[in-house]
This record gives sequence, C-alpha cells and structure tokens, in this order.
Amino acid sequence: MTKFYAATAIAMCFGSAVAAEGSLNLYVWSESIAPELIEKFSNEYDVQVNVDGYTSNEDLLTKLQAGSSGYDIASPSQHFLRIMIDAGLLENFGANTLDAYANIQEKYRNQWWDETQEYSIPIAYGSAGFSVNTDEYTGPTDSLKYFFEPEGELAGRIAMLSYPDEVVGAAQLYLGVPFCSEDPAEMKRVLDLLMAQKESVAVYSSDNIEGRMSSGEVAAHFWWDGEVVRAAAAGAPVEYAMTKEGLVGWIDSLVIPKGAQNRENAIRFIEFVSKPENATIQMNHYAHSSPMNVIEAEKKYTEENAPGLYPTVPVVMSRTCSPKAQDLVTRVWTQLLQ
Amino acid sequence: MSEATAHHADTPRRRRQINLPYVGLAPAWLLMIFALIIPILIIIAVSFAVRGAYGGFDWGFDLSGYRQILFNEGWTGEMEFTPQYLIIILRTILLATVTTVLCLILAVPVAYWIAGQPGHRKSVLVFLVTLPFWMSMILRVYAWMIILGKDGPLLRFFEFFGAPSGMTFMYNDGATLAAMVYTYIPLMVLPVFASIEKLDGTLIEAAHDLYGNRWTTLRRVILPLTAPGIASGGILVFVPAFGAVLEPTLMGGGKQMMMGSLIQLQFGGGRNWPFGAAIAMILMMLVMLVLVGLALRSARNEVES
Repeated sequence: MTKFYAATAIAMCFGSAVAAEGSLNLYVWSESIAPELIEKFSNEYDVQVNVDGYTSNEDLLTKLQAGSSGYDIASPSQHFLRIMIDAGLLENFGANTLDAYANIQEKYRNQWWDETQEYSIPIAYGSAGFSVNTDEYTGPTDSLKYFFEPEGELAGRIAMLSYPDEVVGAAQLYLGVPFCSEDPAEMKRVLDLLMAQKESVAVYSSDNIEGRMSSGEVAAHFWWDGEVVRAAAAGAPVEYAMTKEGLVGWIDSLVIPKGAQNRENAIRFIEFVSKPENATIQMNHYAHSSPMNVIEAEKKYTEENAPGLYPTVPVVMSRTCSPKAQDLVTRVWTQLLQ
Repeated sequence: MSEATAHHADTPRRRRQINLPYVGLAPAWLLMIFALIIPILIIIAVSFAVRGAYGGFDWGFDLSGYRQILFNEGWTGEMEFTPQYLIIILRTILLATVTTVLCLILAVPVAYWIAGQPGHRKSVLVFLVTLPFWMSMILRVYAWMIILGKDGPLLRFFEFFGAPSGMTFMYNDGATLAAMVYTYIPLMVLPVFASIEKLDGTLIEAAHDLYGNRWTTLRRVILPLTAPGIASGGILVFVPAFGAVLEPTLMGGGKQMMMGSLIQLQFGGGRNWPFGAAIAMILMMLVMLVLVGLALRSARNEVES
C-alpha cells in the first residue's frame, strides 16, 4: 500500500511537468493574478503555468538575491523594483517595445522606478490608509488625525498593521515629515505620535484584517484600498477614508528575474495580461486599480460603487529608504513595541 | 541461518562493535551535519557579517550586530545604552517560563489520570492528546481566536450571565498564554505520562503504608521518580515557546514584541540580517544554557544515586 502511494506521489510530481509544451513559473503577490487569466493563457499557448505567492517585497528580494530562483516572472512594488534594477537582478526585456507598453496609462509610464521602462510593465496600483466600520463609527474620516489621535468611538478600537512600512509612511504624511527621513529629530516626532496612539490601539496585526473589520471587533483598521473595496462588495459595512494629508501609494510591476528559463513565455504572458480585455478581468479579480487602459464598460468596480479606488486626495508613492533612514524606521518600530 | 550465527560467534566481537555503530549511524550524522550544524555555522557567520544596504549581507567580520543589542545611536545622535532589546529578551524568557510552568501544572494530573486507566482506554486517551498535532498550528490559533473573540462562545456565555458589553478576551497576555499552553501541552503530557506509567504502584502503596499522606506521597515519591519525564517535557515546551511568533502576534495583539518577531523584523523590513542573526544566536545560546544546565544536573543526580 505504501509503495502504491509513493509511486502515485512520484508520478504526480513528474506527470504535470511534462504534459505541456513549455512552462512558466510565476512568483507574485499571493492570490493577485486572476485564476481565469492563468487558465486562459495556459490553454491558448499550451503552457504549464505554476504560481507561487509571497506576502512581502522582502521575501521576493531575498529570493532573487539568493540567485537562480527558478522563476520567470515576479511582481515587485515600485520601491523594490528600483532596488532590483540597480542591483542587476532583472532582465532587460525591452518592455518599452512591447504592445503592453503602448497600453500603459500615460501617467504610469517611465516613472522613477523604471525611467526607461525597459525592465517592467505595471499590473496594479493602489494605496494604503485607514478604513472604518460604519456601524461602529459615524464621525468624520477626512483626516489622518482621527486615526492617529483617536477620540470617542475610536479610542481603544483601532488596529494597525504589524509591520512599519506603510504605517510609518502614513504617520509621516500626517506630520509633514518626508518619507525616508534621515533626521532623527523628525523620526522622534513620528515615534511620539505612534506612542501616544498606542493607548488607543487594540491590536497590531496584518493577518485576518477582514475578519476583525467585518465583525466590528475594531472600529478602524489600517488597510489597503482594494481589500476594503472587496470587503464592501461582499457586504461588510466598511469604508475607505480619503484623508486630506494624502495616502501611501504603491504600484506593482511584472518583471523577469535575471537568468529566467522561460523568458519567451514570460514576455508572452506579460503581453497577454496587458491587453485591455485581460487587464479588465485582472482588475475585476484583484479589486485594485489597473495602470492599463481597460474596457470601462466591463469594469466591476466603478467610481460609484468603489470610491476607494478613485482617490480624491494626493497619493504619495513609498520610496526605497537608505540604510540610515531604514534604521530610523526600524528603531521607531522596536521602541514602539519594546 | 544457524551457520551464519555460528560464523559470527567465531569472529572477534570487539572489532565489530567498534565499527558497526559508526557505519550504521552515518545517515543520522549526515542529516545532523547538513540540517543542523551547517545551518548554524551559516547563522554564526552571518551574525559577524557586514549588512547589505538592501537586505542580505557581505562576508566580513563586524561586531556591530552584537553591539546593537546593547548600544545604539540615540535620538540625539549619540551612542547610548538601549535597553529595548534586553526588555524583549527578558519578556520572551518570562513568557516561555510561565508557559512551561502552566503546562506542567495542567499536564501532571492529566498524565497521572491517563496512566491509571485500563489498557484500551489508555491508548485511546494518548491518541486524543496527540490529535491536535494533526492540524496546522495556525489553524489551531485561529480556532482560539474564534473561541475568545467577539461573538465567540465564551463571550456569549458570559454575556448571558450579565457580563457588560464591550468586554473582550482577545489581545492581552491571558489570550497569548491560553493559546501557548494549548499548543504546547501535548509535548508535556506525553513524556510525563511515559514516566508515570513506569512508576511502580507498590511504591505509592508503600508510601501510604508508612503513613505518608497524599501530598507527601506526591512530593517525596511520585515527583522525584517522574522527574526525568517532567524535565524532558519542560525542555520540549520551553524551547519552542521561546521562539513563538504566532501566538503573541495573533492572540496578544502584537503590542509587545517577542524575540521571534524581532528576528523576523530584522530579516524582513528592517533589512539588517547580521543583527537578526546575532539575536538568533543569543536565543540559541540561552536555550543551550538551559539544556546544558539540565544535563549537568541530571548527570550529577545519577552520580549521587
């Protein structure tokens, strides 16, 4: 019996790999790519597509730095894309000569994270800010003040993320401190703000945010725009705050790691998901905005039903901090939670 | 068969006894070298390496990873003594110790009771103790989040009897401990059960015959004889509890860092691998100290007896 199982297991390992013409290995944000698109691509080009997910840019960077990751496509955020290009971890696949490039919305082309746009094609963008449960909180949400200096219904009932990245960025926006500040005095102000806020924070966690928010366990949570939109579409009484100080922005791009085995298939895939009809499917799945020109009529999340995706306030993209600035961020965070 | 046995009997036995164990243990040694010793050497090397600007490290010799545990640049830009990491280390030791003690207090009666059951029921009960291991740890922690959370059965129960609304069991040290004890208690029950089962019942009878009351019997007879099981259960609980990340973050609300999450932060967003490796080394050394201490004690006890 054991032998039988072992044989089946071995057969399953090798069986799937030889079935298709070629293969394509994706390493992207967990559950970011629409399964429908993967299936469609796989059928159309007879390619076996394997998808692995990560939950932080650092995970991806670590894997690429280690070399020979075995992946053909990854999707870093802008600040990590910059590091990866500078460190020579990515293939120059002449992205600006592709059809995909022509379909990128003007304002997302040739930005500081890839000026020549030779290394990447963007796939999704969004922002991070705070959201409220409208059953639990009915007050104003137009300023980060209500989140960082909570009063009344929000006191003791707000939740932060467990990592400093976006949260510190939002605090910097609120205080008017530039991202990646290397000035200890400025960062001390960030720490003081977060320390004062801590008394009102119920939990620092990046897991199960939807559960906490939908059930009303907390009244406000630091969160991402698309997740709020998706929870709201599923019927949860949640709303994304448009804070006048601005929102912390991000944009993820498809890239090809250096030495990828299936470069041609990777380019094919990038072209494929960047077509207007497929970009629309992708946006409807992921619930984050698409930097591509999409088919407006087929969009599931519009300005009316998903205002969170159409910010009316400035969105400031996070930056890659110098080691000195990063140490200040880490120091703020460890002193906050010491 | 009988020929072979006869042949073996003729060859000098001493020689075989020296060679065979080494050959036979080779797979275990290889596993130890590749899965344990080499990784630890790498962590040691990284803890002395020079940090890379964007995560990672460059080979070299730099003590700043260890120095940072005690001294850092303050907000005014001067080097100063920073107690925050010591506080985190001490808190982690405290959490692991309290978890171990609670597990012990709860596990000894359970193990004693199971050991006293008739044969068939005994094996069913031991099986039930191991049952939670069949599920992923994160699922078990989530289950506790449901039990203790808002709309959870426990809160419902208390609200039924007039508990004030707004009461919560989640996101405090109690919630962390509940999940920790639940997660690790099987590791305590099993070794304690094994040593209680071996306990000679006549010794307890003898203790009673000599007018030892129940408390004296427990203290002077049962506990000393089950000490090895308790010690190994204690190690099995203490060591993983020391590195716990899930329970403090998910149940405790992550308001206070533990060593596990500190290491995670340094290897992740903090982008300071050598420092993360240095903290990991400290964690490992503390565990080693406990283990060596226990080993020395039991060696001494053996010599004495």
